[in-house]
Amino acid sequence: MVSEPLLNAVKVTKSFGALRAVDQVNLQVYPGSITSVIGPNGAGKTTLFNLLCNFISPDQGEVFLAGEPIHRLPPHRIARRGMVRTFQVARVLSRLTVLDNMRLGAQGQTGENFWCTWYQGRAISRQERQLRDQAMAILESVGLAAMADTYAGALSGGQRKLLEIARALMSEPKLLLLDEPAAGVNPRLIEQICEYITALNRQGLTFLIIEHNMDLIMSLSDQVWVLAEGRNLVEGTPAQVQTNHQVLEAYLGC
Amino acid sequence: MTGYLVFVTTSTAILALFSLGLNLQWGFTGLVNFGHVGFMILGAYATVLLSLQGVPLVLATGAGVLLGVLLALVMGLTTLRLREDYLAIVTLGIAETLRLVVLNEQWLTQGSFGVQGFALPFAGEDYKLLLMWLCLGVLGVVFWGLERLVRSPWGRVLKAIREDEEVVKALGKNVFWYKLQALMLGGGIAALSGAFFAWQETSIYPEDFQPQQTFDAWTVVILGGGGKNLGTVLGAVIFWAYTSLTRFVLPNLVPLDDARLGALRIMIIGLLIMVLIRWRPQGILGKKGELTLGK
Repeated sequence: MVSEPLLNAVKVTKSFGALRAVDQVNLQVYPGSITSVIGPNGAGKTTLFNLLCNFISPDQGEVFLAGEPIHRLPPHRIARRGMVRTFQVARVLSRLTVLDNMRLGAQGQTGENFWCTWYQGRAISRQERQLRDQAMAILESVGLAAMADTYAGALSGGQRKLLEIARALMSEPKLLLLDEPAAGVNPRLIEQICEYITALNRQGLTFLIIEHNMDLIMSLSDQVWVLAEGRNLVEGTPAQVQTNHQVLEAYLGC
Repeated sequence: MTGYLVFVTTSTAILALFSLGLNLQWGFTGLVNFGHVGFMILGAYATVLLSLQGVPLVLATGAGVLLGVLLALVMGLTTLRLREDYLAIVTLGIAETLRLVVLNEQWLTQGSFGVQGFALPFAGEDYKLLLMWLCLGVLGVVFWGLERLVRSPWGRVLKAIREDEEVVKALGKNVFWYKLQALMLGGGIAALSGAFFAWQETSIYPEDFQPQQTFDAWTVVILGGGGKNLGTVLGAVIFWAYTSLTRFVLPNLVPLDDARLGALRIMIIGLLIMVLIRWRPQGILGKKGELTLGK
């Protein structure tokens, strides 16, 4: 990989009191790749995610998206630049319909401006129809099209995971951050999610994934970064990482 | 009797207007505002004091609304970044502070003597009737505008913030700014209702603006079901129907003096809210289905 990294985190650090949750962590995600972050519980993976998106601001360190610093931008601006995250426990907007959840993901909507709602009615309805079509196409591809008009809160756990990914896609991101996409999901659905990620990746979408499910990580990833106790342990291809002595030690204690 | 009907209708319209502002903030956006009456104080006092200085009524009212919006801006800038319980405490505090300022700054407001003799929108014998129609008209316009807004993508963002603001942030929306907009718009509407309140009473006193006003609005919004504008209007109708019925009926049923009867009526409302929250938390117009949803 000779190209510039799409996402580049340099010595990112965050302490909670005396605990160094993330300690000088580096991370690079190359465009077009599926990059994973693994590590034992408490290794700081989710905290790292929060730091990358500035949901929590880092004490030290820098984060670059496509070469531009983003660690001082508020989270919504980072999302607008094309890096969109999902959450470990899928968070859907319960009392909005599935379709409205999807529409919310779209960027640059005229109708989201207070003043425009008054005098651009026609443009807004046109946009809403477009978004509906776009949303339905994505929902179709994840098998949720039939649920478009039900409340998102009525979905099962697995369906919520799918909706969350689908909703993130509505924002047409460059880089999608998935926090444990397979957690609490049945094996059949894990397979479906995997296929979906692979298909999207082939269309050019870059992924950064946190995951515990080793099979999923090893089969999907191009590059794996291992964290332990808030620090970088090793990085490499799945094959390299799988046989690494330090990784085995950190995971299995042997 | 007609006089009383006009009074009740006007009061209902004003309460509905006032509560619609709260419904936008809480029912749609999830902002816990316990100081809603603060906007009303500003709206009422700004309108009457300016019109006493000879400012045309429309401009004075506009200034009152603008002040309500500005108050919301200040409240929002200082508290919206904090957790939502802080907003509840700060709004309650600000509303009480405003009431005490109005009570004590006698050079400006004449304190507890109140303000009287200010300009009214109409004159003559039909004043109350005309005011009722004006109230209903303004309520209709505000209702229409709010319905249009909450059905727009703008309203969708507000509802999404109510559900889970972290998600909205992750999807690239400036959550803080939307919350601020909801607070300001709701505040402006409440300030407008303050002007009507002053015109209906034709004199205003600091004690008109006790926290009870805020909690009446909460009752109305909860009765109708948060996040339903029509529910809020219906809530206001029920609230005033209850108030007037108990005023006439209760004295014949319960042998208590006036002050105690007043307290009893408020107690019954409190009980009603508790019953409602326990057995029908979605309010009268809310859909039951929405509540059985897992978060």
